[in-house]
Amino acid sequence: MRNGWDDERLLGALREAIRERQAVPSWFIETGKNAYAWHNIDAELAQLTYDSRDDRREVAVVRSETASIRALTFTSAQLSMELEVTEDCLLGQIIPPRHGTIEAQTKTGAITTVPVDEIGCFAVDPIPASPFRLHCRTADGADVLTGWITL
Amino acid sequence: MRDDPSVVALVTRAAGGDQDAWIELVERYAPLVYTICSRYRLSNHDIEDVGQNVWLLLVEQLGKLREPAALPGWLATTTARESLRVVSAASRSEQRGTRLDDSLQFVDDGAIDEEMLMAERNAGLRAAFAELPPRCQQLLSMLTSDPPHSYAEIHERLGIPVGSIGPQRARCLDRLRRSSSFIALGEDETRINIRGGEPDA
Repeated sequence: MRNGWDDERLLGALREAIRERQAVPSWFIETGKNAYAWHNIDAELAQLTYDSRDDRREVAVVRSETASIRALTFTSAQLSMELEVTEDCLLGQIIPPRHGTIEAQTKTGAITTVPVDEIGCFAVDPIPASPFRLHCRTADGADVLTGWITL
Repeated sequence: MRDDPSVVALVTRAAGGDQDAWIELVERYAPLVYTICSRYRLSNHDIEDVGQNVWLLLVEQLGKLREPAALPGWLATTTARESLRVVSAASRSEQRGTRLDDSLQFVDDGAIDEEMLMAERNAGLRAAFAELPPRCQQLLSMLTSDPPHSYAEIHERLGIPVGSIGPQRARCLDRLRRSSSFIALGEDETRINIRGGEPDA
């Protein structure tokens, strides 16, 4: 097989390989490297299962009824998080409902901690700087992290 | 600079807490993730989001990947899925249906497989290049720049007599062929040839 790599072909392939790497912006590489900070965080990663931005009809309904500008649902094996972003506040509910805490984390590392009440409700006010993610720990030991949320 | 070029070893080390291994994984596969994002014509902002999600998912999956050797495939599929999610959201809210159609076609026609194999080959070639002594790296860098430098420029910059550039180029390429990263590439390269139908000279 390697007999197929004559000098010209090898040089051409190398040129392409180097070009491909040079086309990647350094901020993109940094984003990847920084993700390792989340290694060994025991929290389960919740998947985004609903986003009102993907659903035009739903947005219209939610808007007229509750003045919400965005509704999101994150789902994990341990719990779901229903989020609603209003003009000035982030409201949420843990399902099934239970006590706990929510940490809102931004990319700069700023953390806001708020309590989750007995019916699973919480409010983060003001809305964290976008993008942010929520880390939920409940009284019964559930530990769940959302993906990055960009408003 | 590479103790062990195999993906499996890098994944295992990164899963065990070795940050250097993680960085090497990112260096190696960021071009693959970036290339696939670019196919969806995402904005830089969306590309950053997709990249962030893909790497975070990988961090989370490190210890659970059933087949670490299949990492490039996992990355390609995950990147495509995350990109498509962004494109779908944008096209639904802005009614840019053609964008979505284009993207779906890209997903369907197996282009991602090709992308993944090319990325593997390119990553292997870059790793092989990194194994070369500095003088070979300098010479090959100048020869592969776009446009390539002339022998006169190479002579001026590196002090190699013009008559020796040809033979040195051949020697450096030969070292590249004999590097462990290039040899490790063997299997994938064969697959590219079969899939791409590119004739072996």
